[in-house]
Amino acid sequence: MKRFHPWILLALSLLICALTARDFLLQHRPDAIVAGPGVTEQRRLSEWMPELEGTRGDTEVYLLAGADTTGGDVLVLGGTHPNEPAAFLAAVLLVENLQVSHGRLWVIPQANHSAFSQTEPQEAHPQFFHLPDREGGERRFRMGSRLSNPLDQWPDPEITVHHPSGQSLSGNETRNLNRCFPGRREGTHTERVAWAIRHLVDSEDIKLLIDIHEASIEYPVVNAVVAHEHASDIAGMAVFNLAMEGLDYNLEPSPKNLHGLSHRELGDHCAPLYATLLETANVIQGRLRGKTSEAVLLSGDDPCYHDAGEIGMNRVHYPEEGIPFRQRVWRHIAACRELIGSYSMMHPEAPLYISGFPEGTVLLEEGCGPYLMPVP
Amino acid sequence: MSLWILGLMVAFFAFVSFRWKWPIGIGLAASALLGGLLGGTPLWAGEGRGLLRHLVEGAFVYIDPMLIMASAIFFMKCIEDSGLLSALNLRILRHLGRSPFWLSILLAAFVAFPGLLTGLTTASVLTTGAIASVPLIKLGMDRRRVGAFIAIAAIIGMVAPPINLPVMIIGGGVDMPYIGFTLPLLLLCIPTLVLSSLWLAYPSLRGVDVTPVLAELDDGPWQRHGVKLLLPLLVVLALMSGPRLFPGVWPSIGLPLTFVLGSVVALVSGDRVRLLRAARGATHQALPVMAILVGVGCFIQVMTLGGMRGELVIACLQLPDWLLFAGITVSMPLFGAVSAFGSASVLGVPFLLALLGRPEIWVGAGLSMMASLGDLMPPTALSGIFAAQVVGEPNYLKVLRHCLLPAALLAAWALVVILFAEPLSGFFAGLFGGV
Repeated sequence: MKRFHPWILLALSLLICALTARDFLLQHRPDAIVAGPGVTEQRRLSEWMPELEGTRGDTEVYLLAGADTTGGDVLVLGGTHPNEPAAFLAAVLLVENLQVSHGRLWVIPQANHSAFSQTEPQEAHPQFFHLPDREGGERRFRMGSRLSNPLDQWPDPEITVHHPSGQSLSGNETRNLNRCFPGRREGTHTERVAWAIRHLVDSEDIKLLIDIHEASIEYPVVNAVVAHEHASDIAGMAVFNLAMEGLDYNLEPSPKNLHGLSHRELGDHCAPLYATLLETANVIQGRLRGKTSEAVLLSGDDPCYHDAGEIGMNRVHYPEEGIPFRQRVWRHIAACRELIGSYSMMHPEAPLYISGFPEGTVLLEEGCGPYLMPVP
Repeated sequence: MSLWILGLMVAFFAFVSFRWKWPIGIGLAASALLGGLLGGTPLWAGEGRGLLRHLVEGAFVYIDPMLIMASAIFFMKCIEDSGLLSALNLRILRHLGRSPFWLSILLAAFVAFPGLLTGLTTASVLTTGAIASVPLIKLGMDRRRVGAFIAIAAIIGMVAPPINLPVMIIGGGVDMPYIGFTLPLLLLCIPTLVLSSLWLAYPSLRGVDVTPVLAELDDGPWQRHGVKLLLPLLVVLALMSGPRLFPGVWPSIGLPLTFVLGSVVALVSGDRVRLLRAARGATHQALPVMAILVGVGCFIQVMTLGGMRGELVIACLQLPDWLLFAGITVSMPLFGAVSAFGSASVLGVPFLLALLGRPEIWVGAGLSMMASLGDLMPPTALSGIFAAQVVGEPNYLKVLRHCLLPAALLAAWALVVILFAEPLSGFFAGLFGGV
């Protein structure tokens, strides 16, 4: 121990802290999301729960309302898990491109806003990813964590007890928004965010919820539409239509004994809501992945998953070229379009008519760029 | 393939730790730095792309366990000064000293108890483990064997219901709720607790005359303070168990604050506690282990960054069927060298997925015991290191040597449960109408 003089070690530690603090602070800067031509109002989640105002749990809520607002209301959540970047970006593209003629579309691209301000230790994820915009510029987005920032909620209990079911989960799940629904007004930071979303659903009379996610390729529920039992018809019709388009999706029932998930809890507590959740296959979340980098995040190409495929660990087909980011974004956009279309078809008395969905061919060939607006 | 980088990292770590006698924590952090550079990551680059950001981020992963162990050691120093430890030792010996069979088993269960409530071996080793170690040493048991007794009981406490964190982590990875695990976990824990405690303690305690030992012990603190002496322990146990007994009503304040509050109570419940000395002693004891955890955090972050973690998992999963179970038995405890919870997350989930089709609850329970054994694996070996500190053994490897056989028993029993998950599940479902 004498080799390492304490003052030298302290000086070295301070130097490393000074050098890296800038990186960590950079992740606290908000992402630029441009309100597209269809956005009629830009609100904050704290409007549905004033206690969130001034906290990192408060987040942008975009309203895209048609001239005729007598139609249905649909809520899309992105960024429930900010380490699932295609889910977040799909919600951003909806905000920047869609136009609603009938009904109202609500979009929260960063549902767990706190979790965007950190990456998860031991996952070695990049802090940011970069995409071109439609004018040749560059847009930077944060790659966050599955869990709220401990700066907003700490310490974790050893065991998370879900309210109101009493289900036990490991301690850090207390900061996982998608284990905290239906939420509690007087609860933890993450439970309050969940409660605010639930209150928005109730007070705005939301009819259809689409919570967008990604999952690792070995995860049993992937390339799937998960639907609460109330929503199984709408989800089934959407899955059929997606298959006609060549996009294979599994229709998964929302498990009744796993609590805290948006589709289960909001479906139960906000009936007659149609509660659904989307999953695509993202290598950078997987435990079997190789090198972790922004390049892998965007290309979705990882040699380890080719090996995993050979031993039957992959739950979906993993093609030679991988599953690129643009393809995952496209799948989400297409699934949102079909779910909304199915809802409108089954509820002609209160439909939601939308135009401006990004085109699959453009997304797949040119990426997200043509649909990303430049930041003013 | 980047496994060669991992090989170099391990070799570099072994060289600087054993040859140059660098502290383990610094050796791990230095080998992580080397691995990151070899993997092509620059030391510093904008937007957090540099290696330094990853090292700092990885170093923070164990901040909660570090606070728990520092506060738990401080608590133990305080109740030692207050006289509670010696009072408890005397009573344990007086009531159980003449029955070595029951002394062995009940002391092991006593040590395991905080682990049942918290899911952490450190909580067991540093509280009830420290209390139980003194009478065993007084009775003439070899202190290294006592250390092993505590370490193994703590591992079993970590696995036992109601709280088993590795199984929750494994279950969380496949959306399996923490329901129906009580019976499989009890079946894993009760036989292993009885057998390992008898193996480690009974032969040393059999035939020992407890009378002279009792005469030696000072009952002064109890005479002076009476039941009040127990208050710190009761406060800690109440704060630990309250959130489990009254979920949603009794908030969890976290273990560090629990131990600090227990220490505050110890200031007024018994003999004078020399606060500064206790705090300095606790810091001195905890610091090397904290450094190891920081180093391990850096190491695993670089493994993930460079792809070594994934390649290692794939290599385990590529084993042929007949070797898969051997792979589970070897790799999961070995990965505990990084962290038992890391083993549950990184290996436990893929192994459970590879074994889908067998009763998942039983397989998950067995895998959780395999992962928990990681707390005996150097260099982290949290259970072993703290058990060695508690019994005053400077070289924790000597404690771990006594753990080998009981640990092999635990691994073998966990493997039996995984292999025979189907008939076991069927048998108990018939017996109890489903588990």
